[in-house]
Formats: sequence, structure tokens, C-alpha cells
Amino acid sequence: MNASGRETFLSRKRVRTLAIYAAMLVLAVLMATPFVAMILMSVRPPSVVTLKDIFFSGDFTLDNYADNLRNDTMVRWFLNSLIYSVVSVIAVLLLCTMAGYAFAKKRFFGRDKMFWSIIAMLVVPGQVSLIPLFILIVKLDWANTYQGLIVPTIANAQGVFLMRQYIRGIPDDLIEAAKLDGASEWRVFLQIILPLTIPVQATLGIFIFLWHWNDFLWPLIVSQSEEMMTLTVGLSTLQSLVPSTNSMMAAAAISFFPSMIIFILFQRFIVQSIATSGIKG
Amino acid sequence: MVRRISPHLVAYGFVLPMFILFVLFRIWPAINGMLLSFQDYRFGRPTNWIGFENYDRLIHDDLFWHSLQVTAKYTLIYVPLTTVFALCLALLINRTIRGISFFRAVYFLPYITSLVMVSVVWLWVYRGDGGLLNSVLEAIGISPVKWLTRQNSVLPSIAVMAVWKSVGYSMMILLAGLKAIPPELGEASAVDGANAWQTFWRVTLPSLKPILFFVVVIETIGSFQVFDAMYVMTGGGPVRASYTLVYQLYDESFKFQDFGYGASIGMVLFLITFGVTMIQRFMFGDDNT
Repeated sequence: MNASGRETFLSRKRVRTLAIYAAMLVLAVLMATPFVAMILMSVRPPSVVTLKDIFFSGDFTLDNYADNLRNDTMVRWFLNSLIYSVVSVIAVLLLCTMAGYAFAKKRFFGRDKMFWSIIAMLVVPGQVSLIPLFILIVKLDWANTYQGLIVPTIANAQGVFLMRQYIRGIPDDLIEAAKLDGASEWRVFLQIILPLTIPVQATLGIFIFLWHWNDFLWPLIVSQSEEMMTLTVGLSTLQSLVPSTNSMMAAAAISFFPSMIIFILFQRFIVQSIATSGIKG
Repeated sequence: MVRRISPHLVAYGFVLPMFILFVLFRIWPAINGMLLSFQDYRFGRPTNWIGFENYDRLIHDDLFWHSLQVTAKYTLIYVPLTTVFALCLALLINRTIRGISFFRAVYFLPYITSLVMVSVVWLWVYRGDGGLLNSVLEAIGISPVKWLTRQNSVLPSIAVMAVWKSVGYSMMILLAGLKAIPPELGEASAVDGANAWQTFWRVTLPSLKPILFFVVVIETIGSFQVFDAMYVMTGGGPVRASYTLVYQLYDESFKFQDFGYGASIGMVLFLITFGVTMIQRFMFGDDNT
């Protein structure tokens, strides 16, 4: 290939790169518009309704947020979602790591049967067990309680599987050495297994948080009274009650910010784990 | 000295908390879901075994066939749309140029939000008067469309919203698949004189087939369970045009408290999911799941 041929090749490449940027930019605008519109609308007074004014008027107000946050029920929903998400994350991480450790490193009677009966639950869609689960919760007298909301969601097959796969990769020597030093089983778990599994715990934790924060059908069924609703369930009942679309957008934005913060902080983890494990949020 | 406890007991100590939760809240409900579908179960009444009566009712229930049809129609719109769009996005961002992680993040962002929040925002996007879409259409001289209140536009409208919301997931899966294709394959094809388009059809697409199929399976299973968007945006309407299987399951069990009948709809859903998974296993083995 001669020099001039190389040059035209390069300039063709440059045109191509520009075209790719243009395409990516158009798509980015399309994907971002609903978010941008939501945020803009949430900071405009209710009198601003036309699309042009929503995007370009200079009016700015935080009244829509203030109205929503002054509403005690809304704050309660937010806290309920936070409790549902955070308690579940802690419980799932702890119990999945414990179980994953036993499945990966210990020999005990019935181990494989137990493990595979957990994994088999991955192919049963949630809607099949939804009804029996609700009946069980009612019989336990757990309807409309935090434990009814949280405890059934702790049994997470994907989490057990991920943890077991990861812990299998930890060398046995590390565990044996600690035991020779006289460490108890529980200390081996706390001082070796837990610290070494932090990367996979972070990944799993983020997904469990997002999954609970965004969950709808289960909280919709379990939370029957207004003060036990999570933010998603509350939001779905709000439409006829809020004074304006702008206020509704502020409410939607309030439910959006926590997941957005998680995403900004942990983008790398989220993206990597989907690519490597196919985990679905 | 460390007290010696039987190693079996120690192992059970670690595994039983989770396993008991599993038996109680996953395994037993899954089995009971099947048993319930053979019962007439209502609160405050003795359990009544009725054999295949629920399924017999299902076969003769026009509403069931309608919701099955709505769900299938929705799947037929949603799955091809999201797969093709995800593949386009993955091909577009499968390169190392400046700012690529920003674009990847923007495309992925909707995936981490809740369908309820998304539905609230898109209710306004689709609104008949003054909504985002109709305002844009009006500006270029097209008369507004009642997206969510017309029987033939409601499902495509919700499907487009769902694609927007969750295309990021499949995009990431396909991107990982693209990155796993050895670059030599593409280079060899280029040396043979193939252009980018031919390379895509002859090399990229065939290498991507198992992963593409995985995406189709995952998205099909997901779209057969669609509920949240319909519940928030349309209430299953207009005239039940967006009334899906899970919506009927929800109504029969939690509105009418006819739990046995609801469970039989759950079993139909299970069989569909199971069938789709088995087709994938059969065609590509189980190393892609």
C-alpha cells in the first residue's frame, strides 16, 4: 500500500469515526430525553406546561419537591423502600456468603442435593410461587409487615450460586493455615472468607439493592395499608392525588435519585458483572 | 484450644439459615403453586381438591385466551425490537474511542430505574394533549395520536417504552459476546476482500448466534411476565387491549381471591417459561446460561 492510499484510508476512517459519534450522540439524546424532561418538569412551576417552556423557560422552583417531601406519607414510602432494600441487602449478602462458603468448601451429607434444589428454583418464575407465598404470609400473620415484605425475598438462588462459584476459587491453604493457627470456624469466615469475597459482595449487593428499590408486584401484594407501601407502590397510587404533572415528576425523580447515585458510584461493577455473569437486576 | 465440633454440624450451621428460608419461601411455594392449581382455594373455606377443573375452566375462559393473545402479541412486538436495537447499540459501542464509557452509561441508565417511575414519566410522553411525543409531532405538522387509549396503538407504545427501559441489559450481554469474538476472524475476512457489511453477516452474526439466542430467550421469558407497566399506565385497557396473563393472574387471585384459578394461570406461565428455556438448552447446551 503506497503513501497516498494510506492517507485516503485514514481520512475515510476519520469520516467514519465522525459518523459513529453522530449516531451515538443522536441515540444518547433519545435515551436521555425522558430523564431530562422529568427533571426539568420537576423544577418548573405547575403553570409551565408546554414543551417549549418546559425545556427553555427560565422559571425555576423546588416547590414540587417541597410539596412532596412535606407529605408525611411520601416520606414514609421512601423510608419503607429504604428499609426493604437495605435490610434485604445485608441479610442476602450474609446468608448467601455463609451458604456459598459451606457449599464450596465443606463436605456434609446432602450437600449436592441441597445445592441443586436451590439452583432449580432459578427456572421457576416468580409468579408461580407468588400466590402460595402470599397465602403463607397471611397464615403467618405477616401481611402488611416488614418481615412479610423482606424475609421471603432473602432466599436468593442467584446469590448462593455466585458466592459458591467465587469462594471455590479461594485456595484451601489459606483456610487450613488459619485453622492451624487456632482460628475458630466463625473467625475463618469473618477474617478470611468475608474480606476475600468483597468484590462479588459489592456486585451482588448493588443488584439486590436495585432489585428491591425497583420491585413492584411483591410489595403491591404484601403492603395493604398506605403506611406500609414502598415508594414504587405509592407512586402508582399517586396519579389521581397529586396537584399537577410537575409534582408527579418530582415524585418520580425522588424515586429515581437513589438508583442514579448507586449507578454513578458503581457503574463499573454493574457493567462488568452483567458481562461476566449475566446477572439480571 | 479450639473445641472440636463435628465438621458436619459446622457446615450445617453455615448452610441451614439460607436453606430453611429456601424450603419455606421458594421450594414449598413452588410445589404448592402446582398443588393449588388443582384446588378450589379461598380464605376461610376448607381446601377442596377439584382435579383438573381449574384447567378446564381456563380452556373455556375467553378472558384467558384473550390475555394469552395480548401477551403473545406484546412479546412478538417487544422481543424483535429490543434484540435488534440492543445489537445495533452493542455494535456501535464495541470500540475503544474517547467518551465511549459515557455513551455506554447513557444507554444503560434506564435499566436501573423502576418500571413504575418509567411508566409515570412515559404517561406524560404519550399523553394525548401536551405530551412530549404529540408536541413534537404537532411541531412537524402531524396530528396528535392517543397512544395509550387506542386499542391498536397501546401495545406497541408500551413495548417501545419497555425497549427504552431495558435495552441496556441485552446490549451489555451482546457487547460481551462481541468482545469474545477473536479479532483475527474479522481480519481474515477483510483480507479476503469482504466489506464491513459482509463481515458482519458472515463472521460476526454466526459467532454471536448462541448469545443472541440467549438474549431472545431471556427477553421472551421477561415479556411473558409483563405487568407493572400495564398496571400503572392503562389498567389493562382500553377495553382490555393491554390485559396480560400476569394481570389476569393478579386479578383472579388478589382481587377475586380465587387462588386456585390464579395458580393455574401461574402454571401456564411456568410451562411457557420452561418450554422456552428447554429449547435453548436443546439447541446450545447449558453453558450459556
